[in-house]
Amino acid sequence: MIVQPRTGPLARTGALPEQDVRTEESRSTDAPWSTIVWNDPVNLMTYVTYVFQSYFGYAHDKAERLMHQVHEEGRAIVSHGTREQMETDTQAMHGFGLWATVQTAGR
Amino acid sequence: MWTFEVQDGGATFVARLEAPERTVLLDVIDDVLGLLGGYEDDPRTVAPAPAAPLHREPDPLDGLVIAQGPVHTPGDPALLRLLPDASRVDPEVTAEFRRLTEADLRSTKVANLLRLRAVVADARPEAVVLASEASGVAAALTDVRLVLAERLEVRTDEDADQVMELATRDDVLDTEDREAMVARFLATVYVMLTVLQESLVGLMVSALPHPPERRRRRDRG
Repeated sequence: MIVQPRTGPLARTGALPEQDVRTEESRSTDAPWSTIVWNDPVNLMTYVTYVFQSYFGYAHDKAERLMHQVHEEGRAIVSHGTREQMETDTQAMHGFGLWATVQTAGR
Repeated sequence: MWTFEVQDGGATFVARLEAPERTVLLDVIDDVLGLLGGYEDDPRTVAPAPAAPLHREPDPLDGLVIAQGPVHTPGDPALLRLLPDASRVDPEVTAEFRRLTEADLRSTKVANLLRLRAVVADARPEAVVLASEASGVAAALTDVRLVLAERLEVRTDEDADQVMELATRDDVLDTEDREAMVARFLATVYVMLTVLQESLVGLMVSALPHPPERRRRRDRG
């Protein structure tokens, strides 16, 4: 997924409609962080969907929607939480061979 | 060809790998293991461990490796793809992430690759993957494909399509053109790994539990 950063709809809205950021924020006083998965030309669509289902526990439809977003928009926010939780998710994504980064508002 | 099928009522996934295929797969798997330093624990090269104190309470953090100093970003782009930066904008986040997680991530990847290596090496000619270990094997297949793709300079979906086309081209190669020979070889191995992974993941997806959605964290959804 060698894709340059770009300003797409995600960069403007900062979140996916189906994700409830408030519940993520309410469990911690930390600034909200996100895990972002970036597109690449190597990872298979079925595999990316599998990773989102098996690791995050997302239903197939949601996992597939996020996969398509990665593929078509270049990236997708796949989870929200504290910095530590997002680093755990990012490390897990790297373990699967997906390219993920952590991000917080203002950075 | 090169596709996994279900056996033993879903307990194993099996693909047929002939001797020449095993040889080239072991070759590229070993390359990736070498890249990750996966052979540093070779008993012939490893330094003797320092003597442990005789009496010590077990530490819950035993086995967790956190670097004391900074862990530098890999210079090899293929290794960087296996161990990517955790931020594209914040060097502090990237550095801290590397220091805390890179050793752990490396050992996860090495363990997965060694398992894949054993699956390939033990194929006679059936390569057997237990359903319980399929996720790690699929991750290892991804890592090998990522390294091959980097070597083949695959940057876009169009590049990836060209690799597929290169692997399936049936023109006669000029054996003097070493670069073309290597590219054709790498492309063929890449396609082999892609077909293997696609079929394996297809079976893994079928084996996933169906909704209601599992929750990893209490308030996640």
